[in-house]
Amino acid sequence: MSIQLSIRDLSKRYKTGEGVSGISLDVNKGELITLLGPSGCGKTTVLRSIGGFLEPDSGDILIEGRSVVKLPPEKRPTSMVFQGYNLWPHMTIYDNLAFGLKIRKMPKAEIRSAVEEVLRLVRLPGAEKKYPSQLSGGQQQRIAVARSLLLKPAVLLLDEPFSALDAKLRHEMREELREIQTETGLTMVFVTHDQEEALSLSDRIVVMNHGHIEQIAAPQDIYDAPETLYVAEFIGKMNFLKGGAQGDKLVVGRMEFPNAKHLTGEVVVAVRPEDIILEPGTSQAAGLPGTIKQMMILGHYAEVSIDLGDHGIIRAFQPRDKVKELQLGQSVNATFNKVIAYSNN
Amino acid sequence: MSKSMKMGMLGLILVIPSFLLLFVIVVIPIALSFVESLRNEAGGFDLSRYQFLFTDKAMRSNIIFTLKVTVVSCLIVLIVSYSLAVYMRFSSGRLVDLIRKTYMIPIFIPGVIATYGLINLLGNHGWLSRFLLLIGITLPRIIFDEKGIIIANLWFNIPFTAMLLSSALAGIPNSVLESAKDVGAGRLRVFFQIVFPLSYKTFLVAATFVFMGVIGSFTAPFLVGPNAPQMLGVSMEQVFGVFQEREQAAAIAFFTFLLCSVLGYFYIRSMVKDETARS
Repeated sequence: MSIQLSIRDLSKRYKTGEGVSGISLDVNKGELITLLGPSGCGKTTVLRSIGGFLEPDSGDILIEGRSVVKLPPEKRPTSMVFQGYNLWPHMTIYDNLAFGLKIRKMPKAEIRSAVEEVLRLVRLPGAEKKYPSQLSGGQQQRIAVARSLLLKPAVLLLDEPFSALDAKLRHEMREELREIQTETGLTMVFVTHDQEEALSLSDRIVVMNHGHIEQIAAPQDIYDAPETLYVAEFIGKMNFLKGGAQGDKLVVGRMEFPNAKHLTGEVVVAVRPEDIILEPGTSQAAGLPGTIKQMMILGHYAEVSIDLGDHGIIRAFQPRDKVKELQLGQSVNATFNKVIAYSNN
Repeated sequence: MSKSMKMGMLGLILVIPSFLLLFVIVVIPIALSFVESLRNEAGGFDLSRYQFLFTDKAMRSNIIFTLKVTVVSCLIVLIVSYSLAVYMRFSSGRLVDLIRKTYMIPIFIPGVIATYGLINLLGNHGWLSRFLLLIGITLPRIIFDEKGIIIANLWFNIPFTAMLLSSALAGIPNSVLESAKDVGAGRLRVFFQIVFPLSYKTFLVAATFVFMGVIGSFTAPFLVGPNAPQMLGVSMEQVFGVFQEREQAAAIAFFTFLLCSVLGYFYIRSMVKDETARS
């Protein structure tokens, strides 16, 4: 698979001290990669640098093997879908879509058929004569995506494009974007702070924190094997307990797990709520004894909080049927299917 | 009484005071002026006052002079103000900061004082003239000439117009311009196809304000304008105050109102057209 976008040692510092440093990333042709992180982590800085809206202090950006770092946005083979749609309110949808094609001096007949085709792709056929203000937020964002798709960019950049939409529409738009990406084979760089969006959309996720990359991996790998404590805290729900590394074993209470990372001394043990098994009563065999503090039914599963004494309070996801066996204040024994350990430094 | 009827009544009650005010200070005086302008010397009613307006050589040159000064002033004010507003919106640096802090100063200087200031600066014996004479340059006639009125109009109108246009340009988000650059538009295309169309409504408002302000101006044309031809405002005062011809003065006033109405009509028509297209 060929590399479509290559970022090499990119750095950009703002006067406030924020920014990014030493960002290196290769994006394959036809891949949808997501830059994920909290506000101020530098994900938008990276995206805007790719689009040419920010000039990095150092580093290089190559698209299809050609350095674009000195080119202005209008000369780059990229197109960006902005957070606020940014359709031009004084132009009809047709004019909004045709604007870039007219600049490229495409014949009128070809522009018309290209606009019709892209409107079908984004499920808004016949919207040509409308003005942006006559469309809903979701429809406007579809037009913004269509405007970028028409230009057939080498890399499509999406800056939190669905953040202004309500939850249901956001979900629908994600599915539509994925379909469009599969259909067009476009390389996409997607920026979001919404981990659910990142996990559901991406071929790979780049988790960013304080201007640097914490981990680059497929969504399942990010979720199952977060490389750093930060990623473990940021992605999904996670419980953290104190544990110890003894040779090739990790010890958490009376439980033992393989010490795959060959850690030593005190460690932080992370366990997903769905990897916790609760059994009523106490057992001397394995697990950690605790008391149920709270139970919240969340549709098809329940979130149960258990007080483990010295180990603190952990949260476990339990099937609805299982919850029927549990009561508030009841003593339970918690065992873990699997854990991830981190050095305590 | 139904709720919608009550709301309708409330709306009507809220509108009545402003409607009455408009009626008393605008509609009635215009109607009275019009009726008065139709009264001839014999006490009857005809269009003789208007006939005089367009057949009298001095009066005709006053109209042409007024339109010329108004159009030239409007063009210069709009070009300078829009350029200033664009410069302040899209540039940064010390010069921009200085302009931002100082461009409103003329608004706070009373018109009469500013006009006397201009006479002292640009008059035949003004200090600019005396300074230029030292290096052998004779300053052309500015005061008591149309140039003087135009310069005074620039002083009075540029700050407010620039302020109006600045706020319109500030309302255009950077991201809208970035998305135009993103699809390949260069600077000129971004300006003519995005920035100007998105600020043209305010541009029209500004043009209307400047036109109406200049065409009906009195202080500057009276103090720095030539004796002949005169701006319509000065001429009106002379016909009314010196020649005591109330009916002729009313005809000039009504004609000036008609000139402003033409611009107002085009302004309202373009706004309505815009709204209809987007609704």
